Amino acid sequence: MKDFFGTFKHDTWVMPYLRKYKKLLALTLFLGLMTFFCGSALMFNSGYLISKAARHPYNILMIYVPIVLTRAFGIGRPAFRYAERITSHNWVLRIVSDFRKKLYQAVEKHAVAIRQNFQTGDVLSILADDIDHIENLYLRTVFPTVIALLMYLIIILALGYFSWWFGLLMLLMLGLVVIVMPLWSVLINGARETQSRQIQQTFYTQLTDAVMGLGDWLISGRQKDFTDRQDQPIDAIAKLRRRDHQFQWWRDFTIQIIFGVICLALLVWSSFYWTSDKASANWIAAFVLSVFPLVDAFQSVSQGVSEWPSYQRSIKRVNDLDTTPTDETDQTVLTEDFNVLRVADLDFQYTDTSRQIFKQLNLTLQAGEKLALLGPSGTGKSTLLKLILGDLQPTNGTVQLNDVPVSRLQNERAQLFGVLDQQPYLFNTSIMNNVRMGNEEATDDQVKAALKAVELEPLITALPDGYETVVEEGGARFSGGERQRIALARILLQDAPIIILDEPTVSLDPITEAHLLQTVFRVLNDKTILWVTHHLAGINNVDQVRFLEDGQFDMAGTPQDLYATAPRFKRLYDLDQGQED
Amino acid sequence: MFDPALFKLPGMRKLAVWLSILAVIEGLCIIAQAYYLSVAIVGLWHLHALNTIVRPMLLFALAWVGRQLLVVVKNRLMYPIVEKTSGDMRRQVMQKLYQLGPSYVAKTGTGNVVTTALEGIDKVQTYLMFVVIKVIDMMVIPWVILIYIAFLRWREALFLLAIFPLIIVFMIILGYAAQAKADRQYVGYQRMSNHFVDTLRGLPTLKQLGLSKRYAENVYQVSEGYRKQTMAVIKIAMLSTFALDFFTTLSIAVVAVFLGFGLVDGTIGLLPALVILVLSPDYFLPLRTFANDYHATLNGKNAFADVQKMLALPVPTERLQLGEQPLNWRADSDLQLTNVNFSYDGNQLALKDLNITAHGYQRIGIIGASGSGKSTLINLLGGFLSPAVDDGTIAVNGQTVSHLSQQAWQQSYFYIPQNPYLFHATLAENIAFYQPEAGLSAIGQAAEKAGLTAWIQTLPDGLNTKIGEGSRGVSGGQAQRIALARAFLDDSRKILLFDEPTAHLDIETEAELKQTILPVLDDHLVFFATHRLHWINQMDYVLVMDHGQIVEQGTPAELAAHNGAYVRLRDEMVGAI
Repeated sequence: MKDFFGTFKHDTWVMPYLRKYKKLLALTLFLGLMTFFCGSALMFNSGYLISKAARHPYNILMIYVPIVLTRAFGIGRPAFRYAERITSHNWVLRIVSDFRKKLYQAVEKHAVAIRQNFQTGDVLSILADDIDHIENLYLRTVFPTVIALLMYLIIILALGYFSWWFGLLMLLMLGLVVIVMPLWSVLINGARETQSRQIQQTFYTQLTDAVMGLGDWLISGRQKDFTDRQDQPIDAIAKLRRRDHQFQWWRDFTIQIIFGVICLALLVWSSFYWTSDKASANWIAAFVLSVFPLVDAFQSVSQGVSEWPSYQRSIKRVNDLDTTPTDETDQTVLTEDFNVLRVADLDFQYTDTSRQIFKQLNLTLQAGEKLALLGPSGTGKSTLLKLILGDLQPTNGTVQLNDVPVSRLQNERAQLFGVLDQQPYLFNTSIMNNVRMGNEEATDDQVKAALKAVELEPLITALPDGYETVVEEGGARFSGGERQRIALARILLQDAPIIILDEPTVSLDPITEAHLLQTVFRVLNDKTILWVTHHLAGINNVDQVRFLEDGQFDMAGTPQDLYATAPRFKRLYDLDQGQED
Repeated sequence: MFDPALFKLPGMRKLAVWLSILAVIEGLCIIAQAYYLSVAIVGLWHLHALNTIVRPMLLFALAWVGRQLLVVVKNRLMYPIVEKTSGDMRRQVMQKLYQLGPSYVAKTGTGNVVTTALEGIDKVQTYLMFVVIKVIDMMVIPWVILIYIAFLRWREALFLLAIFPLIIVFMIILGYAAQAKADRQYVGYQRMSNHFVDTLRGLPTLKQLGLSKRYAENVYQVSEGYRKQTMAVIKIAMLSTFALDFFTTLSIAVVAVFLGFGLVDGTIGLLPALVILVLSPDYFLPLRTFANDYHATLNGKNAFADVQKMLALPVPTERLQLGEQPLNWRADSDLQLTNVNFSYDGNQLALKDLNITAHGYQRIGIIGASGSGKSTLINLLGGFLSPAVDDGTIAVNGQTVSHLSQQAWQQSYFYIPQNPYLFHATLAENIAFYQPEAGLSAIGQAAEKAGLTAWIQTLPDGLNTKIGEGSRGVSGGQAQRIALARAFLDDSRKILLFDEPTAHLDIETEAELKQTILPVLDDHLVFFATHRLHWINQMDYVLVMDHGQIVEQGTPAELAAHNGAYVRLRDEMVGAI
């Protein structure tokens, strides 16, 4: 219980929306209540109708009212149910729209670090799943439970009106069904859920491991080890499921038995209360029969509530996201044209590690200069780019554009920097829309001109849908080299003075790579370029080369100078050219 | 409604008979419960004392408990078969996976394979548990109840009989209408639901383009559009539930009114009227429970079909043409491919007319632009892909084989791809993957030869450190060294297949790694697919590939001597620099 309230203590995802759309919520609950009310009332009324009819009233008008009511309730139940389902879905989907926006904004704050903070798209899918989970929380748990509790209240009050002691008895008996059983379920299920998650997780990791390493399993010839390894989690899952099912069967059985007892209790009560005369005895069938439609409403509560632990996890996860707005007070703009990028006496180390990545690093890049940055992986090339873009703050020293620290230019970033990285993302829309994202004011002709500049015109015009061709998820419609060219066209439209190239050719073959680099340096001829690369193909396109090693630059100069004077550079260059033996 | 494949499950026919018998008994319990409850009510209605209705009350209680017990009994009978089926299915999927090999995974996607084996089979389990019992209930219980009602009063029975098919017809019509509506919107719907994940994944790019803040409103609008579209579909889809509800509840109301008139006229007594009234909801109940859960289990039905489809895929047979023991590849062994073709889909050839002779400890480089078929060739040589039947011949030491998915062949080579997979295990276990019995000192020596010692010393538990996904990050260069250590540890495998092992490494790491790789190449038959030119200098034979064909082959010196595909390729790779 403490756990339950703990979940909502700092909750900004569930409770606020219950308040925000409270009218629609009230309507949903009302309709849900009416559905069950009509179902029960139909049987109540029918029971009364035939009991009364069995007294052979001399005039049909004597039972006219119950006849009309019977039909009304008969039509009312499905109609209310239909309306209830429509409004509840509408309500939940409305909330989902709000959720998506909010989740987007929370993730957006960490947009650049997203690949590190949230690892891969898989984690993002989990977050997206959490939203679906909360959607189900309402439809499967909150609505049925609240409706059942309201029904419970009404029934107790109604029966209490006739006889306080019988009302009290029903308070206890129905309380078993709507309160005790659900709590018991959630208790049992909560413990099992944790265990189940562990086993599923183990199985998932093991299976993924086995599938990804399948080639090695196959050629190692260890088939028996391979199958044996999966047996244990398979059996564990089977055992867990069995216990799960058995619990549910007996729980539902118990609930049904309680309803059987309630039925008997009603009979006994009726024998005391409604047998004073013939007219009142007509009510007995009504009361007894009205119990049965209620079983449905009350039974689903236990199942819904027992799913709480999995919803709780989702609620916690989304609440853990940082949704506080960012401070933008010290932001400014660059008044004159970009002139120089200056990194001065830069020290940097990540707060949670002891290794100092940069020590007294200095770098100056004049407008129009082109610089290549090399170094083995792990030396901090990407970290340096993040510092230059302002995603990270230096421990000491400065990064400035002209005379302004880059951290104060964050709002203007897209006007200053164009970035082409290893995997520029293409959105699942047309080529036209993807490229236009570089500059939303660009005309169709400007977009086409940019695509022509990156030499994609012949390819695109040959496609059946031309510029309107949808690139599919992640740009899957196109090859790696083509995706980079589309992204390059986008950067051309963006028209920022400084271009960051972050290993844009790493996954391309040498021929595609050579052609792409040719295009890149041709179309970006008038820009300032900072190019991180993992080998020396195309190195002659730049004015300066820097090798990053142990937090400092240890080789610097023009490619021609370095080839002549630095043996290490010459050796790597020759290796890349295939001339080494 | 019933998948015929269901009846092929072991024990299912017998179980279906038992479940039907139990359903009949359940129907009888329902009748007894309704009857005795009515007797009790009528007793009170006649203003009899409580003690006169104790017997019917007890009998009602007995029938009620019996009915609920039968539900549990049916589940308990069903469950072992479901559990066995799903367990067996998982095991079969794993075995099939092993037989289908990595090319199947590459085609289907790791995520899909794992989902099928995990969630897919979970869904199958839910589906099996649900569908058999509910369908049998629906086919048995209403009849039992109806026959009894007919004995009491045929007019109401006729009415209930007539309404049943009417409901089903309406549900089918509305179901089709909803399906058509949903289908029409499917394309848009699909794009909507992908949109959110698409946007999240593309966030770094949006930020780079300065669009990320403004996009929040876009996300909201798209989601609202999605809501409106979904609501349009839901309105239709729920009509079928509405129809079911409407007809069943209204039928009960009509029956009640009928009975009321019958009572006024004196054509029926209170007891039978009450029994009929109590029974009518139960008459519709099996249909309603089936319909309520039906859509939820459609997934299970599809998953069941998917699993069946996977299990029916063809696998390479004749895997023992070279015997069961690993080959003893020697300096005088040879492998011969003559006019071999390969196609992924049976139409377009991915490899055409391959003629390769590999002899003893040759080092054979395979070069070509991307998409020229280098990796496909390596996969064919590794036996992960099989050439079409009777399409050229493959011979190992003169023995003709139908493919290279030979147990003996596969246990004689090492395969080193661009990104060797590291298992979620200790470093030692990873190195000893091919030799699980190897001792720690042998593993240490292999690691030393692979140039891993310095790195191992930085690890908290040395060779016993856990690596692989989710554990310690291992760089691309180190992963290659671990793969090489496997080869150093097991010297009995004399064939090496390299598939662009250094393609994604930076030039300095590559230069260092090369020094480690060179000694491994001695005394081995080597196939080395690469587009890093410097490796060619270490090869003594080169295959130049283009569009799935070997366009030129010979020693590097021979190829360099005349102006052919090899020279053109080299020029193109270097030329633009």
